[in-house]
Amino acid sequence: MVKAKNLSYEIKNKIAYVGFGYGDEKSMTTLSKDSLMELKDIVEEIHKKSTKEVAALIFFTHKENCFLAGADIKMIDGIKTEQDGVKGAESGQKIYNLIEDLKIPTVACVHGVCLGGGTELALSCRHIIVSDSPKTILGLPEVKLGILPGFGGTYRMPQRVPLHVALDLILAGKHVNGKKAVKLGLADEMYPKEKLLEMAETLFSKPKQFKQKSGLKASLEHMAKDNFITRKIIFQKARESVLKLTKGHYQAPLKILDVMEEGSGRGRESYLSMEAQAFGELCASEQSRNLRHVFFMMEGAKRYTGPAADAAKTPKLKRGAVLGAGIMGGGIAWLMAENKMMPMMKDLNLKAIELGLKQSGDNFFKSHIKKKLTRDEMERRQRSIYPQMDFKGFKSADLIIEAIVENIDIKKKVFSEAENYVRDDAILASNTSSLSVSQMSTALKRPERFAGLHFFNPVNKMPLVEIITHDKVAPEVVKALYDWVVSTKKTPVIVKNGPGFLVNRMLCPYMNEAAYLLAEGVPLKQIEDASLNFGMPMGPFRLMDEVGLDTLVKVGKILEEGLGDRTRACNLSEKVVELNYLGKKNNRGFYRYTEKGKEDGFNEELLAALKLPRIDLTEQKIQQRLFMPMINEASYILEEKIVENPIDVDLGMIFGTGFPPFRGGPLKYADSKGIDFILKVLQELQNEVSQARYAPSNFLLKMQKEKKKFYEYA
Amino acid sequence: MRDVYLVSALRTPQAKSGMNLKDVPVPFLGTPLLRRIMDEHQLPNDGVDEVIVGNTGAPAKYPNISRVIALEAKLSDKTSAYTVHRNCASGMEALSQAFDKISLGRCDVIFAGGVESMSQMPLIYGKEMTEFFISLMKAKTVSDKMKIVSHFRPNYLSPVIAVEQGLTDPVCGLNMGQTAELLTRVHHITRQEQDEFANNSHFKAVQAQKEGKFDDEIFGVSYGLKLDKFLTSDVGPRAESTVEGLAKMRPYFDKKSGSVTVGNSCPITDGGSMCLLVSEDALKKYNLTPMARIVDYKFAGLGPDRMGMGPLVSTHALLKRTKMTLDQMDLVELNEAFSAQVLAVLKGFKDKKVASDYGIDEVMGELPLEKLNVNGGAVALGHPVGSTGSRLVVTLAHELKRRKAKYGLATLCIGGGQGGAMMIENFSY
Repeated sequence: MVKAKNLSYEIKNKIAYVGFGYGDEKSMTTLSKDSLMELKDIVEEIHKKSTKEVAALIFFTHKENCFLAGADIKMIDGIKTEQDGVKGAESGQKIYNLIEDLKIPTVACVHGVCLGGGTELALSCRHIIVSDSPKTILGLPEVKLGILPGFGGTYRMPQRVPLHVALDLILAGKHVNGKKAVKLGLADEMYPKEKLLEMAETLFSKPKQFKQKSGLKASLEHMAKDNFITRKIIFQKARESVLKLTKGHYQAPLKILDVMEEGSGRGRESYLSMEAQAFGELCASEQSRNLRHVFFMMEGAKRYTGPAADAAKTPKLKRGAVLGAGIMGGGIAWLMAENKMMPMMKDLNLKAIELGLKQSGDNFFKSHIKKKLTRDEMERRQRSIYPQMDFKGFKSADLIIEAIVENIDIKKKVFSEAENYVRDDAILASNTSSLSVSQMSTALKRPERFAGLHFFNPVNKMPLVEIITHDKVAPEVVKALYDWVVSTKKTPVIVKNGPGFLVNRMLCPYMNEAAYLLAEGVPLKQIEDASLNFGMPMGPFRLMDEVGLDTLVKVGKILEEGLGDRTRACNLSEKVVELNYLGKKNNRGFYRYTEKGKEDGFNEELLAALKLPRIDLTEQKIQQRLFMPMINEASYILEEKIVENPIDVDLGMIFGTGFPPFRGGPLKYADSKGIDFILKVLQELQNEVSQARYAPSNFLLKMQKEKKKFYEYA
Repeated sequence: MRDVYLVSALRTPQAKSGMNLKDVPVPFLGTPLLRRIMDEHQLPNDGVDEVIVGNTGAPAKYPNISRVIALEAKLSDKTSAYTVHRNCASGMEALSQAFDKISLGRCDVIFAGGVESMSQMPLIYGKEMTEFFISLMKAKTVSDKMKIVSHFRPNYLSPVIAVEQGLTDPVCGLNMGQTAELLTRVHHITRQEQDEFANNSHFKAVQAQKEGKFDDEIFGVSYGLKLDKFLTSDVGPRAESTVEGLAKMRPYFDKKSGSVTVGNSCPITDGGSMCLLVSEDALKKYNLTPMARIVDYKFAGLGPDRMGMGPLVSTHALLKRTKMTLDQMDLVELNEAFSAQVLAVLKGFKDKKVASDYGIDEVMGELPLEKLNVNGGAVALGHPVGSTGSRLVVTLAHELKRRKAKYGLATLCIGGGQGGAMMIENFSY
């Protein structure tokens, strides 16, 4: 019998049991080269045995919360060439084909996380049964890493579920829970996890078949599967929606569509070799490398890497409180309620409190409408927010976040007052977006328990949180905040106090240059398109509207004061504010908005009022003017050690501004262009446009001298 | 016997049925109050021995609403919790059981209170409809089913309104309003007296609201489809109320010759209240400061058709038990189920003949109006049945504290012919 180290393998009562997650400590099991080899040996051995010796094969897990989380991404990351990728996929496909070809019944008993290669393995079994645990999820998320399921997933998924469902699962990389898996036909049955193995045996006598649903919808689905024309329409629709969603920036979903459409009707061998080929191509592409880089950055960000802190003295933040119940305060209260922190939410009057409740209530209500929350659960969460006009009960709070008006004097007053009502070991944080956290800390008797915690608007959608440190903050406080942010499923970046912190400081030259471009006479549409075509989620002017033009002018001044001439604000935005175009907040900005706040085309009225000249620039030139100063500013940020690592800059920009993930972040992008190119462009622009705004930093010049990339300073 | 201390007392705003609080799930009329008190005193989640909550019309979803309140407030799973029902005095019953358990040394920390959503009291199908459903479910074949369906009569569908039925005494057959009418007849209470009393209740309540007197005792409740509205004051007191206006209303319970109107009675209401009661040991252990001491309580019965005189008999019994006099009470909260019934009780305090009708052979003395329901009563504030018993104690404790007065009495009539009374001694000066 095959001896396995990574898998358990035994034959009992003529049933072969293969268990994943055997003999290691990790909570998540991934497929390594070794475990794949062992799997191959086991399946080959079962092939050789007669049905009298082995009558059935059951896959299960030894882990608490994981069946099989897919292939080890480090293994995928090790693939450097297309050929290696093709080979890797083919070797996996071969093993899964062996499973599929077994003459005996095979059952995957899925409990816990089952993704990518895990779901592909389950698909190659005759039956899939799932546990009813909320931890159980199935899916093919490969597309998110810029690749495709390479172990036969694109081939077998549409065999088990209707084509449009398969496309939806594979193209969006969605995962589904056990109940949904059964509903879609992906899994046969759902049982309590303790009963999975016992119930697997009841399936041995059943042939593999689709759950034959009756009714019009089902017969239409079957027609679609068999009918060339309906299939064509489904693919067409899927392609359109992919293009609409990704604006054509992402190759993987298009490649997946190619493979699945061209391959349909082909035999297994021929289909799978196409799949393997596509896997190899995508795997070796720069885009996938960048997306994997983003994945590793995200995973890395889950571990605290800030100043060394004593874990024993790091408080756990269980109860929350919010000072100031406005849009941000309500958003933060929502986040706390969502994370079972029963936050107290204090403001001065009922009107303000109801504004805060509206933020959280809207979010919970939307989840309820989308059937993610029952009404009971919605009530429970929203009612776990305790609105109040006094400080009663604040002694129970572990974390108090201030989100009042951006005024340093008022903030200082509020903090020194609040300190009288909170426990000595409670942590106080300010959600300031532009004020000096160091200056604020002077208002506190115990500044060591204070830091900035900069959330982005809207809190429920924006994944980044900047943790702003200052000289006196205790490392344990930074670590507690970091761990807390991670526990709320957001991505923290530790940033030293400084004008605009990280993200706003990086955005400033970008939006500023956009304003200069417009003032010089480049049409608004050209600038917006250049940014969108680069991959930004919205153009700079749309972003300005979102932030608010008046806020922008205010923050611009703070940055100019702190950073000097290179950030001198274009006077265009001031003019716009004077004309009372404040952006989305008063429904008047560079864009027009409907009463419900929906964007409704460019605001020609404003553009006419500005009496702009008219010139044309190439898209490339516009992109250089928008993004080069951003990269230049990043080099200042690294030089000043505002953040420790180029990774922090890229994480911050991707999760704080939606900088295109497929470019890996501004510094990964810069590295791909090379320092010589960056400097050449900057120096050109320096001569053509502005000495002050484009002069390269010393850090960049040093990079050129040392022939290094940003990431080599990590 | 150990002393029992009241450490904290809170209530929700009270809103007339069908108004702001109509959709608030009933446990959430108690949970936020309980949690708020826990937070204020930083009590550990496993530090509570018992949660006792009064409720009379729990929706079928919450058979033991008290336990739901405890768990929703994140008390430890180990916390024991039960629901009590003594009609209008359910909240006071909860407090009295807490008192007993602590004074006997069985418990040290108890939350006691009451919740009621009269808006959510159900419409119930009648007996015929219920039986129709049952036989339909039992029927196996289609023809059996058809046979049963053919027996259906439209009048099966006329519902029993739970609120209405609950407010009718099954023994004497009178509804609560009719018992009040009876008192006006036997004790000669005029329409004018009732309307003046009711108008005064509104006046006092509006005044108290204006002066922020309820601010310390009320903790708000979120409401609305998205729960983005926050109610912090009672919906009931009417600033524009006048005696003349009240005089125009038609009698409701005896439409031809009666004098009890909707205007001089309390409205049906949604609301909740919660008190933290502890032993002396717990005061020390958790470093708590008591608001007041619960002196004692007493429930007493009388004819169900005269239920409105409940406060008379229970107050008498309590004063006897504690060897105290009515005169020693600095404040009295006497629930205003009906103006008529309050006025009759006041007569009974000072009039030997009236008292003797209820087996009381002494005069307790005249209760000065400036001691009675100083911030208005149920006519203005409403009467969420399961909560009122403890709501009276909440309001009483806060007003004693504000006045730095000593003794206070909370008493109320109970449908079915009982009265309840509880005496507290203010400790916060």
